[in-house]
Amino acid sequence: MNNFLKINKKTLLILLIFLTAIFLSTIFFNKISTNVTKENFLSIDPKFDIINPSFTINNEKEKISVTANKGNFLNNNKILLKNNVFFQSSSFTIFSDEVTFDKKNQTAISKSNSKFKSEGTEIISEGFSISENGDIILFNGKTSLILIK
Amino acid sequence: MKYIITILLFFSFHTIGRESGQTEITTDDGIEVFNQEKYYLLKTNVKIISDEYVLNADLVKAYFLKDLYDITRIFSDGNVTLNSSKGIKASGEKIDFDIINEDLQIFGKNSLFINNELKMTSDKEIKINNTTGNFMINGPNSRLKTNKIDITGYLIKGKFTQLENDNEVELLNVEDETQINIKTETLDMYARRAEYDKQNNIIELFDNVKILRDNESISGNYAKINTLTESYKVTSKESGKVKALLDRKDE
Repeated sequence: MNNFLKINKKTLLILLIFLTAIFLSTIFFNKISTNVTKENFLSIDPKFDIINPSFTINNEKEKISVTANKGNFLNNNKILLKNNVFFQSSSFTIFSDEVTFDKKNQTAISKSNSKFKSEGTEIISEGFSISENGDIILFNGKTSLILIK
Repeated sequence: MKYIITILLFFSFHTIGRESGQTEITTDDGIEVFNQEKYYLLKTNVKIISDEYVLNADLVKAYFLKDLYDITRIFSDGNVTLNSSKGIKASGEKIDFDIINEDLQIFGKNSLFINNELKMTSDKEIKINNTTGNFMINGPNSRLKTNKIDITGYLIKGKFTQLENDNEVELLNVEDETQINIKTETLDMYARRAEYDKQNNIIELFDNVKILRDNESISGNYAKINTLTESYKVTSKESGKVKALLDRKDE
């Protein structure tokens, strides 16, 4: 008797389902991989002048480093920083989504929601500005401050 | 993905809330931090909520020692109200609160300080040091009132001691160019100046003295009142005359 005729119908059905599942999952993963490649490709966005820009504000007491995901030159001195904009010094960090940074005057202005953190302090505001080389920080609009002892 | 991050970011920005031991400050018009000068300005409709007190004001200048949380002094301006969990209520046009020295100064019209049954009012300034117990009420309509005594005068200075929930006046000096008034449960006293020392239970009244008790009225230039026995001695330096009016019913 032919060996093929010995295969149980039920086993054959399970085998078919298993093969179909492998086929579909291969297509699905290929699609995800294509999307990731597309996203990576899009991250080098021609609309932005700089990717991962990084600057420093210096004052007598401390150094404030400024980083972001993207940046656009507004003029020779001003840069519009976008996505995950971080200001970090030894004593505080400020996170925002959009900040205009002035290289010459060492100032920064944001009209986006901002979060400030330092030891025992958390400030959430509708924007902020840094002037006098970081000595003066102004948090704009409705602002909430939590002080932890 | 971008939307999820935005939503998460939105919630992370708005789920901030005070926990026990924390101080929450909210403002309508932002905060200005001066790192060199070690202070920050809280602008418009300021609310400070902590376990110990709640403060409302139009503008607040908070001085700090090292970091922002390390507040040493709070100067509040415009419609200031302060309520503490220990029963202290204060309000005025301006309040200057030195946290380290526990020194409270209230300025402006309708200045008010209440510590349980002790009430101080003035149209100029009230100063209290919670550590030493020293106080000063200065200006028009200055008044100090407790369950036992009611004092009015332009300048009321003194010291109080806190016995459990009861504030007792220990030292007192009251002045007014026109007239001061001290009212106890039994005596109604008028003069231009008064001194009180709880240690020897003596109230001294100087110039234009008038003492009213029940239906009797005694006038002179100087009076010495024993607050324990409620006996008093009135003298008149200039004419040597003391005027006493007694109601006929009591004669």
